[in-house]
Amino acid sequence: MSNEKILEIKHLTKSYGNRGFQTQVLKGIDLDIYKNDFIAIMGPSGSGKSTLLNILSTIDKPSQGTILLNGKDITKTRNKELSKIRRDKIGFIFQDYNLLDTMTLQDNIALPLSLNGASNKVCIEKTLQLASIFGLKGHLKKYPYQLSGGQKQRGATCRALISDPQIIFADEPTGALDSKSSRDLLECLLLVNKREQATILMVTHDALSASYAKDVYFLSDGLIKCRLSCGDDRKEFYDRIIEMQASMGSDFS
Amino acid sequence: MSMLKLSFLNFKSSFKNYLSLIIALSFTILIFFNFFNMIDSGVLSALSQDNLEKTKIIIQVIIIVLIIFMIFFIWYSTNVFLTRRKKEIGIYAFMGLTHLQIGRLYMIEITLIGFVSLLIGLLSGGIFGQLFQMFFIHLSDIHIDMHFSFSMSAVIKTSVIYLTIYMIFVAKGFVNIVRSNILDLLSYHKQNELIKQNNTILMIKTIIGIVVLGYGYYIAIAKGGMEVLNNVLKAVICVIVGIYFIFGGLIPFIFQTLKTRKMFLYKKERTLWINNIIFRIKKNYRTYAITCILMLCSVTALATGFAMKQRYDNMMSSRHVYNYQVMSQKKGLKDYYQKIIEKKSQVKYGSSIAVLQLDSSLMSSRYSHTAYAVLSYSQVKALAKQTGLEFSYKEPKSNEYVKIERLYMLTILTDRSNEKITINKKTYHMLDFTTEAYLGYMQEKISLYMISDSEYQKLLPLGKEVYFYNYKIKDMKSFETSKQDLRQANDSIGLVSLNPNEDNEMEWIKSIYALCVFMFLVFVVASGSIIFMKLYNDAFEDKSRYLVLNKLGINHEILKKSIGKELFIIYAFPLLIMSISSYFSVKALANMMQTELLMINLTSVIVVIVLFIIFYVLSNIIYRKIVEVK
Repeated sequence: MSNEKILEIKHLTKSYGNRGFQTQVLKGIDLDIYKNDFIAIMGPSGSGKSTLLNILSTIDKPSQGTILLNGKDITKTRNKELSKIRRDKIGFIFQDYNLLDTMTLQDNIALPLSLNGASNKVCIEKTLQLASIFGLKGHLKKYPYQLSGGQKQRGATCRALISDPQIIFADEPTGALDSKSSRDLLECLLLVNKREQATILMVTHDALSASYAKDVYFLSDGLIKCRLSCGDDRKEFYDRIIEMQASMGSDFS
Repeated sequence: MSMLKLSFLNFKSSFKNYLSLIIALSFTILIFFNFFNMIDSGVLSALSQDNLEKTKIIIQVIIIVLIIFMIFFIWYSTNVFLTRRKKEIGIYAFMGLTHLQIGRLYMIEITLIGFVSLLIGLLSGGIFGQLFQMFFIHLSDIHIDMHFSFSMSAVIKTSVIYLTIYMIFVAKGFVNIVRSNILDLLSYHKQNELIKQNNTILMIKTIIGIVVLGYGYYIAIAKGGMEVLNNVLKAVICVIVGIYFIFGGLIPFIFQTLKTRKMFLYKKERTLWINNIIFRIKKNYRTYAITCILMLCSVTALATGFAMKQRYDNMMSSRHVYNYQVMSQKKGLKDYYQKIIEKKSQVKYGSSIAVLQLDSSLMSSRYSHTAYAVLSYSQVKALAKQTGLEFSYKEPKSNEYVKIERLYMLTILTDRSNEKITINKKTYHMLDFTTEAYLGYMQEKISLYMISDSEYQKLLPLGKEVYFYNYKIKDMKSFETSKQDLRQANDSIGLVSLNPNEDNEMEWIKSIYALCVFMFLVFVVASGSIIFMKLYNDAFEDKSRYLVLNKLGINHEILKKSIGKELFIIYAFPLLIMSISSYFSVKALANMMQTELLMINLTSVIVVIVLFIIFYVLSNIIYRKIVEVK
């Protein structure tokens, strides 16, 4: 683990509703994410996973607390700058892929980079490079409707990675995939984490997906309940996650 | 909740979504109503009986065209509406409503829309009616006192025609819903797959498009004799087919080729808008082709109206070169008749010429006329000088002639290089032809040939020489008195007297002109609004795509640029192809009317461009609003 802190979350709270009738979804989260981390956040429904991810990815604003991205507080940044941060520093992987159906996979992957004004040569090179890591080289000319779910999600991952973001947020990336496709995708994520030193924060309810991470945080009732770290054996790590899920006892679907 | 209440709530909550439909429908009603209102207002009663009859025939033709236009417009807009609503309708089906109930829901909603549109259309019609009539009167030069009119019968006629057509399409939509299955309804939006088209097919389409369109252009302006009429028909078909293939082949081909050149494509927002255009054109190319053809028709219609007006003015001025034309068998009476006229009126200019009338049995030409005559070169030259008309011909050789003819409204003979006549078994070739009004009104009645002086002398024994004495007076005050005086003069075998102020034989052409301008504007606005409506509806579908781009953190400035370029192309291509095509169609028209129409062509294209810029700006604003790019 390197010592460069990417994301520093301090006393993060979020509540919804009016003054008289408030529901606290996040009740004070503290979390530090370092470069090259691969973190999974698990929790039962209603535990605040999605809210946390939305706030971290600057789509939502917290009620209290600070989030430092590379030392800069993103809770106090203007909208215009936020979109710049989203563009340059954050990569997203969504559950439903969100590829544009009007263009080929290659164009989809290259889109963020080319829209940001990168030169055409760089765009082509990086697209091809990422596509070969993710085993998509033969599918670049296809349109999203011609691809399987797994291929689409790997494509979306390439798109998230192409602008070399500081951190990648993945929201249930395997949520819509079968187990074989899920495993392929996770292997790829692991690969970029190891080889490209990418920092990944993944929200999931799936123990298998979580077992690919280095650390798993369990969220319950708006608080981080505990943290498990992967040892040498992933199988054993998977068992520990299942055990933890069972002990927490809530509905994890 | 009752059905009526539900559909009313639907109507209220999605009024904004219906807006394009309502505007489109109101627009057709507005035009229809104005048209009927004008006919009823008595504007036309200023025309003489004969002109009124001719104008009425034209108005009937235009009503038919407008009805066809209305049918298409309503068909198109209700169809778009139905497509947009299908998904929502599918959800109702899941909630357990029967198809019949959903159909009724749709019927009530769309009937509400229909009546609201009718109301808006008639109201705006009442407001704009006056403006429209002023415009018509101004253009057609009819002199009448204006007064505000709002004809009830126009309201009824418009409502009946509109509602009949509208209800047919409502019923069609109803049947469509009742017969469809839920799965189709739900997945209706997902049917736009298969974006990339086979390159070979595109290539073939492109080649067909270019060849057919090129041939159409060529044949339209090719000069010829009687076959021109046939050619015009062929050209029209070729141009329509060609434009269709250009939009279905060439344009997608260009963009798909650009798209495969990644070095070109990956340059800022290009990635986005070029891909979007390929997608949009694949979906909508028929619509773009139709709007292009519609605009081409309207520009040509305007040019026709203008050319007819121009020709009419020219015809009038040729016809009225002289006020009096006295025919006599005696030579040298020019001063005698002039003195008679000068008793009351001042003569502006006068001229005389000998005309050798030939019996038609001596003549043989490709086209038969009722009366033939030859003129001698030097006499025509002298007459031109007396009258102040242009004359720049060399003396014809012994086997040549210059045809002096009237101006025709329209001629299909565009190639006249090989014309000849035979007079008394001798063949003469046409050196040239002129429509210069040397003999004024008589030129409309006699077929005239100018030959060399020596040939004239040779032919002299064959025919009968008549002298024409022609006069133009300075003012028309004593026109009638002088006419009476001339009638009683000696040695006259005939008198033609023309008062330009009383000549309204062809007044109807002026109203044609006004109607052509009107049709031009209607069709151009219609084409613009078709593209506008299409984009408006597409915007709702594109909303989810822009949501994705927003999630990815794409800068809105970049998206704005991309949208701007995309919409620009969508408006620019039909406009560009129309402009090129209109050059040829107007040129073909100019050939037939023997006139130069480039200016009116340019003017009309500029008007279309200005209107399209307005549509483009509006589209841009509304599209951005819908896809939420601020």
